[in-house]
Amino acid sequence: MSDCCPGSKTMDFSEKDEQGDDETGARQSQLKQWPIQLHLVSPQAPYFQEKDILLAADCVPFTLADFHKDHLKGKSLAIGCPKLDSDQEVYVDKIAALIDDSKINTLTVMIMQVPCCMGLSQIAKSGAEKATRKIPVKQVVVGVEGGKVLSEEWL
Amino acid sequence: MENILNTDIRAVIDQCPEVGRILEEYGIGCAPCSVGSCLVSDVVGIHGLDPQTEATLMYKIEKVVYPDRDVPEPKVDLSKIVPKEINYSPAVKNLVDEHVLIKRLLALIPTITDFVEKSETVDKDLVMSCIDFIRGYADKFHHMKEEDILFKYVDEQSEIIKIMYEDHVTGRNHVKNVVEGAENGNKAQIKEHLHGYRDLLTQHIKKEDEILYPWIERQMSDQQIGELFQRCSAADASVGEELPKKYEKFIIELEEKFAKEN
Ligand SMILES: [Fe+2]
Ligand SMILES: [Fe+2]
Repeated sequence: MSDCCPGSKTMDFSEKDEQGDDETGARQSQLKQWPIQLHLVSPQAPYFQEKDILLAADCVPFTLADFHKDHLKGKSLAIGCPKLDSDQEVYVDKIAALIDDSKINTLTVMIMQVPCCMGLSQIAKSGAEKATRKIPVKQVVVGVEGGKVLSEEWL
Repeated sequence: MENILNTDIRAVIDQCPEVGRILEEYGIGCAPCSVGSCLVSDVVGIHGLDPQTEATLMYKIEKVVYPDRDVPEPKVDLSKIVPKEINYSPAVKNLVDEHVLIKRLLALIPTITDFVEKSETVDKDLVMSCIDFIRGYADKFHHMKEEDILFKYVDEQSEIIKIMYEDHVTGRNHVKNVVEGAENGNKAQIKEHLHGYRDLLTQHIKKEDEILYPWIERQMSDQQIGELFQRCSAADASVGEELPKKYEKFIIELEEKFAKEN
């Protein structure tokens, strides 16, 4: 992979001013299901029924310190990588099945701020278009550096 | 008032009336507004000022609220700023789109009342067809979704929601008067109340699009956004897809009629 692609470009933030070193106390995981990888989940699984679904790019949870508390809480999860995963047509069909069969309430797709990650939003959109039911679909973009949500919008 | 951006504008103005005056300088009339539940960040954000103006305004506000603090003068890189558009969830976006059709009728009202004034006898069918649009589309189809569904997601006793309800009632009173005018051939009554409706709804829609809807959506969870969408879709399905189509056709024909007249 070439170094000019932002998706795989090497960056080191370790010199950055550290804050929030205080990590005392244990927080509870907000994950209420298994499996989570989009190829492994069944869209008809009980934990998807009528739920709000979070479709996160693989890199997203590692970027956001409060991913569980701020984004996963109250939602069911599916993860995938639009750059490296194979058979992505299956992903589109699974999203459509989540909407039509499991009657999910909303779909939030969380991606990294790198061009290739937009592919996951495209998968979410194609799945939503393929489904006969309509639901609100939201896109959340996360910055590579600094672990901040850069934008949040209903598509 | 630790973070001024997350404070209600009313609280800021009450503590520091000078802020109201500064806002007025920028054409933001928060001081006389009886609602005041908007956050300072939204008051400034929602009014869509250009970045430089917005930064200068915030600087001036912070200066008067915290006279002792060393507030840095704003430096804004204009090249990096993209104008902010309000992003609505799909159900609310549909309500905003319905406003567009209502505004097309509002735009025609002066032409319609001119026509009524100039005609020998009042064209009752014309006036009543506008009333049918207002009652069937603006009120029954649109306002009912607001009153029965959307407003239920926030405190209905809040000042801003009470004002919206009052506007809906005032609108219905104008309608009653227009009908009375049409029945009695009273041109002045028709004109007064169609114009009254136009002024009222113009302001009402602006308040909803720019302030109320974003304020409501900010308070809603994703779960509620999904539920709102399903409930509004069910309400739309219950009246059938023909109804909005019929009223859109009505507006198009009305626009064509008056384009020809002029
Ligand atoms: Fe309204
Ligand atoms: Fe409205």
